[in-house]
Amino acid sequence: MDNKYDEWQQQLVKCIRCGTCRSVCPVFQASDNENTTARGKVKLLEAVSEGKLALTPELQTRMSKCLLCKACVTGCPSGVKTDELFLSARRVLAAANGLPLAKRLAFTGLTYRRLFDLGLRTGAVFQNIVFKDAPDGIGKMARVSLPGAGLSQRRIIPPLATVPLRARLPETSRVVSPQARVAFYTGCMLNYVYPAAGEAIVKLLKAHNVEVVLPSRQSCCGTPAFTAGDYRVGRYLAEENVKILAAGNYDAVITGCASCGAALKHEYGFIIEDPELKKAWQLLAGKVQDITQFIADTGIKQDLRAVKAKITYHDPCHLVRGMGVAKEPRQLLAAIPGAEFVEMKDAAKCCGAGGTFSMTYYDVARTINDWKLDNAAATGAAILATGCSACRMHIADGLGQRRSPMQVVHTAEIMARAYGLE
Amino acid sequence: MEQQVITELKQLLGRQYVMDRLEDRICYSFDATFRDFPPDVVVKPGSVEEVAAIVKLAGQYNIPVTARGAATGLSGGSVPVRGGISLVLTRLNRIIEIDAANRVAVVEAGVITEDFVNAVNKAGLFYPPDPASAKTSTIGGNIAECAGGPRGVKYGITRDYVLGLEVVLPDGSIIEAGNRFDSEMAGPDWGMLFVGSEGTLGIVTKAYLRLVDKPQAKQTLLAIFNSLDDAARTVSGMIAAGTIPTTLEIMDNQTICAVEDYLQAGLPVKAEAILLIEVDGNAVSISTQAEHVMKACRQWGATEIQVASTPADSDKLWRARKAISPACGKINPTKISEDATVPRSQIPAMVRRLREIAQKYDLKMVIFGHAGDGNLHPNILSNKHNHQEMERVEQAVEELFKAALDLGGTLSGEHGIGYMKAPFLKWETGETGFAAGQKLKAAVDPQGVLNPGKLFTA
Ligand SMILES: Cc1cc2nc3c(=O)[nH]c(=O)nc-3n(C[C@H](O)[C@H](O)[C@H](O)COP(=O)(O)OP(=O)(O)OC[C@H]3O[C@@H](n4cnc5c(N)ncnc54)[C@H](O)[C@@H]3O)c2cc1C
Ligand code: SF4
Ligand code: SF4
Repeated sequence: MDNKYDEWQQQLVKCIRCGTCRSVCPVFQASDNENTTARGKVKLLEAVSEGKLALTPELQTRMSKCLLCKACVTGCPSGVKTDELFLSARRVLAAANGLPLAKRLAFTGLTYRRLFDLGLRTGAVFQNIVFKDAPDGIGKMARVSLPGAGLSQRRIIPPLATVPLRARLPETSRVVSPQARVAFYTGCMLNYVYPAAGEAIVKLLKAHNVEVVLPSRQSCCGTPAFTAGDYRVGRYLAEENVKILAAGNYDAVITGCASCGAALKHEYGFIIEDPELKKAWQLLAGKVQDITQFIADTGIKQDLRAVKAKITYHDPCHLVRGMGVAKEPRQLLAAIPGAEFVEMKDAAKCCGAGGTFSMTYYDVARTINDWKLDNAAATGAAILATGCSACRMHIADGLGQRRSPMQVVHTAEIMARAYGLE
Repeated sequence: MEQQVITELKQLLGRQYVMDRLEDRICYSFDATFRDFPPDVVVKPGSVEEVAAIVKLAGQYNIPVTARGAATGLSGGSVPVRGGISLVLTRLNRIIEIDAANRVAVVEAGVITEDFVNAVNKAGLFYPPDPASAKTSTIGGNIAECAGGPRGVKYGITRDYVLGLEVVLPDGSIIEAGNRFDSEMAGPDWGMLFVGSEGTLGIVTKAYLRLVDKPQAKQTLLAIFNSLDDAARTVSGMIAAGTIPTTLEIMDNQTICAVEDYLQAGLPVKAEAILLIEVDGNAVSISTQAEHVMKACRQWGATEIQVASTPADSDKLWRARKAISPACGKINPTKISEDATVPRSQIPAMVRRLREIAQKYDLKMVIFGHAGDGNLHPNILSNKHNHQEMERVEQAVEELFKAALDLGGTLSGEHGIGYMKAPFLKWETGETGFAAGQKLKAAVDPQGVLNPGKLFTA
């Protein structure tokens, strides 16, 4: 444990406490409390490393009040790697204090891929017992409050797919004369919640003459587990995925969900410990590309149909700061004839979802989301495109609560529409 | 601290605005300086009445109260060195009025500087004070520190824009000092007493601030010098000749090299100094001013002058200045930033003294700053975990203060005295001046409730 703190200190000492992170942190802006800023948390970890503060549950609560949106990482003039620090702290705290039972069960479930799969499929059938349809058919609302699952009665969540994505499509989708062969890493949300977006991604790839493999034995990317500090489960999943994806001979590994992409491309680097697997991961990481990046790099096919709509775009944190993808989705959207692309204010600001954050701190998450919705509404757009299923779910919830007619779609879905692939 | 005080504070403000857990007190134990002292309790009042009640309560129990804006201070003003109450003012964050006709704004103390500047801009006017911390700092903190910035040479500093203040005095009474009229003065300018008083004389809750016309255009230039003396002479020469630029920033050779190492933007690493100059005004005056600037630069030996013609070009020129902070962070993590200020004409002498000091104590130092004001920012780059080095830093800082005073300057151009420079304040004020300062403090705050350990109460 001691050398763990030595590692921390190299980062901690860099913080010049300038407070720049106050000006970028959405949680701070919503709650006006220094214990949510990067420098506040850096200071807390410094106190821990100096033996002035114990690994208390109170500290754990404070470390959990973070979206891991990386705005502070990008904004920090001293280059403090706060994202790595906070993940590491959550890990140490989870080891010291444990995790809430509901989370523990869920994460353990994630490691049993088949059980998880079955659970979510049965979920699709049984969900109507627990959830009722929200007004206007926009999704589901909890019938009873499920605090353990982090679902307040107000929250509108999308229904689970009756048939998940990977069961809808063949493991390999062939094209006539393939220019490339890629693996599509679907992750959980595209597989179980937004299969239509997953299908759009496959169609888009095929339209660009790319052979698509959906490795059937892929697991959850592990983000929910390791961001909560559960490294045992997180590492297991990371290693499983690396093994499976490294075994195939792919030109690229395509992701359609920002969090999965950032995990595969970066976060695995400090989760995987086995040196052999780490080497395999390094090779793999270089091949991970978001779908919009892949299409933009390949060259957008030009025979598009008109989509007459005003479109705006929300940058998911893990796409813009995690994977460095910002211009590509815009290039794609701007290429659609007839569509008018309008940039919203603070497009790259977090939408407040932050994985399990929005479950634990729903009210703060809503406040942050409301800023996003206001900025989106100000553009007058009818469609909001984005590249992360978690953002999509949270934004859709907000729009639903407001009874807004704005539609949220995956960037690939609207592209597929423009290609006439629906 | 007695539990009773915390209970009463909770009754006063509501539980969620009073924090006494160690985890939270630690988060309010520091500012942008490098020492920490946790307060016993953190409170967040939502109105001037609540502020007054807290201060009164603190008086009853004889507990120190330290005001806190955004804690970006560089002299340690908001660090509660004697414990007690950390009084956080960020909930007082309303921009009450921007009165364009009378060119005055009414704002609460906790408003973030940049939010205010943006609102003023939107109303078609201009609030010039521009500390580099504007994205984060509060108006109250700016007033309490009398913050300056690059524009100070032409537009002045925070004190030049304060017309009146609402202040909670150490006994918990509320007063208005000054008023919102630009040309009215009833009695002495005692509102000014609180400007730069670092929270030791009263808590500012509301301010009446002067606004001015927005300049229509600006032009940015970068001049490169082989000799520091030439650069400094350009500064004094240009101003003496009647051209007062909006900004006149200097970077010394070590700063240029550090930034170049970081940015790889093709900066002139052989140059002994560069000046970043901006002029503003209307379209006609701006070209005349730019010509004057170029003439002065050529006359005093600039080897090269770059002129930005588009906003993008101008951003490019500013990039180097803005990259100083991260560039320094890359060299060494702990950045001790001073703001010793000397008369403009003494800049070369001061830079030479600073270089000698850095060499003597074997420290890495970059020097840049607001040359137009003679306000230099020598930054010592060290590592706070290296105790030996930190001792040398302390000695060097002491010598640096002496050097500034020797050259007819001051300990602080804009960051204030706080706890950091309090031990040296006497050097500047003299015994008599210091005693007068102490008397003033004792008259306004006989109990010594407000921010003990700072300024005259070290
Ligand atoms: C990166 C960086 C750049 C900076 N650049 C500049 C610069 O260009 N120019 C400059 O002048 N300074 C600069 N500073 C220093 C600092 O930002 C200023 O001193 C600023 O005015 C402090 O504002 P704050 O709200 O953070 O105040 P704090 O640090 O919270 O407090 C400063 C002092 O004011 C007192 N105080 C705060 N609010 C009140 C109130 N309402 N009533 C009474 N007392 C109060 C506190 O007790 C303390 O003594 C910089 C700091 C950083 C970190
Ligand atoms: S921006 Fe970076 S250096 Fe500044 S206070 Fe935040 S973490 Fe520390
Ligand atoms: S990651 Fe985002 S939410 Fe967390 S401290 Fe940084 S800016 Fe705030």
